[in-house]
Amino acid sequence: MNLKHSSKHPPTFFLKFFRWFCHPKLKDSIEGDLMELYQERRAENGKLKADLKFVRDVLLLFRPSIIKPIEGYQNLNNYGMIKSYFAIGWRNILKYKVFSFINVFGLAVAMSVCMLIILMLADQKSYDQFHQKKNNIYRVLTKIPKSLKPNASSPFPLASSIKSDYPIIADATHLVPGIGGDAIYQQKASEMRGFFADASFFDVFSFELEKGNKQNALSLPQSMIITTEIAHRLFNGEEPIGKTVEFINRGLSHLKVDGEATPSNWGIFTITGVIDAQKYKSHIQFGVLISSSTIKSLAVDGKFKDMTDNWQEYSNCYSYVLLHPESKSEDLTTALNDLTARKYKDNAELKNLKLVGQNLMDITPGIFVGNPISFSLPIEVYYFLSFLALAIMLSAGVNYTNLSTARALTRAKEIGVRKVTGARRKDLIFQFLSESILISFLSLVLAMILLLFVKPAFKGLWVNNYLNFELHENSTVYFYFILFALLVGLLAGIYPAFRLSRLQPILAIQKKESVPSKKWGMQKFLSVSQFIVSLFFITTSILLYNQFKHHLAIDYGFNAKQIVNVKLQGNEYSKVSNELSKIPGVASISACDYLPATGTQNNTALKIAGSEKDYLGVTVLVTDEKFMETLELKIIAGKNLPDSSRAHNRFILLNESAIQKLGYQHPSEIVGELMEQHGSKEMVEVVGVVRDFRFRMPSEQEVIAPIMIHNRPSSFRYANLKIISNDRTETIARLEEAWRKLDPMHPLDYQFYDEQLAETNQGFVDIVSIIGSFAFLAITIACLGLLGMATYTTERKSKEIGIRKVMGAGDMSVALLLSKGFLKMLLVSIGIGAPFSYFINNLWLQHFPNRVEFGFGTVLLGIVVLLGLGLITIGSQTFRASKRNPVESLKSE
Amino acid sequence: MKKYQLGEFEEVVMLTVGILYKDAYGVSIKKEIEIRLKRGVSVGALQTALKRLEDKGYLKSFEGEATEERAGRPKKYFQITALGKKAMEHIKSTRDELWSAIPKVAWEVKIV
Repeated sequence: MNLKHSSKHPPTFFLKFFRWFCHPKLKDSIEGDLMELYQERRAENGKLKADLKFVRDVLLLFRPSIIKPIEGYQNLNNYGMIKSYFAIGWRNILKYKVFSFINVFGLAVAMSVCMLIILMLADQKSYDQFHQKKNNIYRVLTKIPKSLKPNASSPFPLASSIKSDYPIIADATHLVPGIGGDAIYQQKASEMRGFFADASFFDVFSFELEKGNKQNALSLPQSMIITTEIAHRLFNGEEPIGKTVEFINRGLSHLKVDGEATPSNWGIFTITGVIDAQKYKSHIQFGVLISSSTIKSLAVDGKFKDMTDNWQEYSNCYSYVLLHPESKSEDLTTALNDLTARKYKDNAELKNLKLVGQNLMDITPGIFVGNPISFSLPIEVYYFLSFLALAIMLSAGVNYTNLSTARALTRAKEIGVRKVTGARRKDLIFQFLSESILISFLSLVLAMILLLFVKPAFKGLWVNNYLNFELHENSTVYFYFILFALLVGLLAGIYPAFRLSRLQPILAIQKKESVPSKKWGMQKFLSVSQFIVSLFFITTSILLYNQFKHHLAIDYGFNAKQIVNVKLQGNEYSKVSNELSKIPGVASISACDYLPATGTQNNTALKIAGSEKDYLGVTVLVTDEKFMETLELKIIAGKNLPDSSRAHNRFILLNESAIQKLGYQHPSEIVGELMEQHGSKEMVEVVGVVRDFRFRMPSEQEVIAPIMIHNRPSSFRYANLKIISNDRTETIARLEEAWRKLDPMHPLDYQFYDEQLAETNQGFVDIVSIIGSFAFLAITIACLGLLGMATYTTERKSKEIGIRKVMGAGDMSVALLLSKGFLKMLLVSIGIGAPFSYFINNLWLQHFPNRVEFGFGTVLLGIVVLLGLGLITIGSQTFRASKRNPVESLKSE
Repeated sequence: MKKYQLGEFEEVVMLTVGILYKDAYGVSIKKEIEIRLKRGVSVGALQTALKRLEDKGYLKSFEGEATEERAGRPKKYFQITALGKKAMEHIKSTRDELWSAIPKVAWEVKIV
């Protein structure tokens, strides 16, 4: 009855409350009692008293025996049923150990890879979470129409300009790279890299200082904030605040890659703050911060570029803006568009430049940006890795689906009995799903154990030197793991659950063999696709490995063996060469500005003096005259560069490639020619021609490009020592000793050239190992699936085998008979997979410089591996089955 | 012997159900107890006792008519089952035994 129509109703809220909590079986009669009492009391004592008593009664009714049970009143035995499902599931796992192992192990292997990626993403997501205003901080990216990826950097004046002109901006700060050198305090030096930052830095970001006042630490010129680590190295426990250090900038890059400039003394700095940078997980990493107001005085002395009003250059500054909490990112877009419209209106070259805001939370993991402030994997890589991992996961899930569906026959009776005794289809679906979830949780446990091994392997990759993955698990990550396992269980189990629950009880109990498909149509299709994918991965990893070996074995055209490269670290080359050449075991010593074929290069453009032709782009290498001797570069025409002491910028060497590009037939023709250098008034003269050698990494370029070599001692960064002694360690020890005398402040920084060249291929090693492990996983899972099917078939056919053997069939013929179907499957996979992987791999290989021969040999090797593993898998089952005594299988039943 | 378990209030409820015979439902039981024993009975306490007694099998219930003052809800009538009767008899007999076991002297002392 509707309450609204009754004019004399008790307090509605309490009535509703009562209806809510009361056991449905008791509800009606008790409510009737309550209403009857209420009407009576109301007639006797009036509404108020009746209301109060009603409330009291309702509250006193709120007791365990009246309240409805939480688990629902109708299916009071749900819990017992679920328990039984899990019990049956567990017994099934124990009963069919091989299948359970295949399922659990396959799923676990795939899961561990997926979990690794979850960990990677969680690691990336944990960056910059400590900033209080993180959701309102944006980095400004610069988009240049001709470039595909946006730049992480933006014009220098942007931060100050946007802060003063647009009210939606609460604050803005910028970080200017270019600090990399040594701070010296009482003869002690410490290398540091970092940024210029302004006072707003601490308003925008939530970094805290261990020592010093963050309000004014970056206000005055010549102020410096250093990390606790550097403070400890420099001051060794003394109070750092207020101490002064001398800073010599060597132009080290903030990205911790090689590259140096001529040292320049930036003067005396006062330490105003100490920050514990280790504490903060941020995409901004630094060892030192210097107040931006310092730039001005440095610019006056010509030691740093003045960019105060420079809107042209967008690669030397990182800008961050803080919006007011009520502002939206669209407001920022409008402001930035307005600003670019004003600033670049008249600039023909940069007219289409766009400034875009990127939320701090979208930086790691984020889109691929140029000129990054720190290294991180772009989100595209995660998509790719997730794709691979999901492919493996899918493969493992398919195994589960396949095997569970195939086992319909074994479970048909159970299903029939359940249905006859009243189980609805829904209940059966639920039962099978609970089994698959049970399996997936078991896999999760195993995957966690596997992860303990996968994680260190991943962290050991070379690329992690730059990416700093920590991969800590925390409760959020575990939550995702469990969610993931649940999802895997549901998805893998859903098909068999629907399929098995569809069985007609009468057919199931009659054991009509036709019920589950004997043809294995779907299973075969899925299995074939697994093998195709496996073959593709195997071929790809073999090819990548060959390519890697090919790069390692490539002839650079110079001899890198026995050469030690020593970084000058700001010391004068003549002094270094004097000291180091005295060491016994050093055969020759030379100098250069960067090491050829290790990833660095400088470029310029040349043309023959007075020629009408366009400039020819060439690479420039600065060396002394002994460099050719050390690296065994052959001069094929003219003569070598003149002696270092009488060095003159005027003379250059060119390589064969440059000669050809400039239009000369014979190297000797060019000797003595004068050349014009782009952007320079001084002429240079070609004194000789050097044989072609590789000065770029093999993965960068195939054809050797033109290069010019000249002698300019002020640019030397490296000394190249040719060692003839067989005892490397002893020579190195002597080198170190000599270096200590030469430069007590820096430790000797050296590397063997051949090792360095091999190291440039490290990225390749990473890719090979990643693809290789995926190949391994793919083939493992595919073989597990095959193993499952083979086991099942042989089990089902044990009677047939027995009869055949009694009739006189031999072991071999029975094994062949059993294997035939699977062999056919393998052959089909190879038939499709081999051309497929050949074609796909050729696609990328075509664009690869210095590519290895990709013939049928590689594909054949892949096929052999696949076939071998497949045959072992099938054979293990079929031979075992065919060897069995037929009496055993026939006497049962 | 713990064969028949019956609390004090439960016993009162059982007896009242017996008194009311064919007219024993929530409100009438409550009123009857209140009048006869002069003590307040909350709906909650009564319903709990009734449910417990029904669970023990001492009472059985059936749905009765719905009236307007009950806002259309049916009455739930209770009846004593055979088991319930046995339980009540058991309790009464144990009580009687105890009563008769008290020596007369005890009463005299009390009178003095």
